[in-house]
Amino acid sequence: MNTAQLHQEIQEANLSYMLLARQMIQDDEAGAIFRLGINQEMADLIGGLSPAQLLKMAASNMLLCRFRFDERLLLNMITDYNEDRLMAHTHSAILMAKRPAEALAA
Amino acid sequence: MRNKSVVTEAYQIQFSIELIKLGARLQLLQEETALSRERLIRLYKEVRGKSPSKGMLPYSTDWFISWAPNIHSSLFMNIYKFMQENVGKNAIETFIKSYQLYTEQVQIDGEKPVLSITRAWVLLRFFNAKMMQVTECKECGGEFVIHANELCKHYLCGICHAPSRAGKSKKNIVAAAATHDMGLAMAH
Repeated sequence: MNTAQLHQEIQEANLSYMLLARQMIQDDEAGAIFRLGINQEMADLIGGLSPAQLLKMAASNMLLCRFRFDERLLLNMITDYNEDRLMAHTHSAILMAKRPAEALAA
Repeated sequence: MRNKSVVTEAYQIQFSIELIKLGARLQLLQEETALSRERLIRLYKEVRGKSPSKGMLPYSTDWFISWAPNIHSSLFMNIYKFMQENVGKNAIETFIKSYQLYTEQVQIDGEKPVLSITRAWVLLRFFNAKMMQVTECKECGGEFVIHANELCKHYLCGICHAPSRAGKSKKNIVAAAATHDMGLAMAH
């Protein structure tokens, strides 16, 4: 994959991520806050973006979404991924919900 | 208690319907709304098509400690705490939303919600009364529900340290055997 292709892929991923996030917030704000792991202020901000603003944000060479696991959670998933683990999703949900939500920098 | 405001009453009826649909018992509704008992019973009959069940609410804190209930109530508690911190909604809306998210999460794992909405509500009351608390598992770092003031310096959660018979009820074994047989049949 050359650089131009990579940029295009990133922009596409960004755009669908932003569109999905905005859709989620508009449909069910409380649920979206939990699923996206953001706080109320950020949800209001993303939910209020216009399509033009979304496009502008997405047209970047950086990915807008990032990994939400810390090492421990990741390690937990990797070490047991081929075993038939008891309640794996429930476990990761418990660990994930404990993490602080993304917030706007003050 | 009489409602002065029609708007407040309409709002309370609305979330009562939501709670009844999720399987809430009458006592929960009586505590959370200012609607009269008669109206709540009528509402209940209309929504569910039958009379509300009678009898006392479950009142034991021990239920939340046994294996499967503990994991389910810990999951619910984690979701609820997250919602409480990050979503600017009132208490009852936060509760309903957290319970919905909990049932959804459990279904992803192909399980039935062990924690009923009434139990979830009772759990929150135990937390408010400081009869229960959460503690961190030393292995995974997740927070789990335990009795208040329990000795828990080296606490290990039920998922990191599952008891040998955990999740192997008769029903589960039969289901597993059935899928195994189906796999064999498909292979032939």
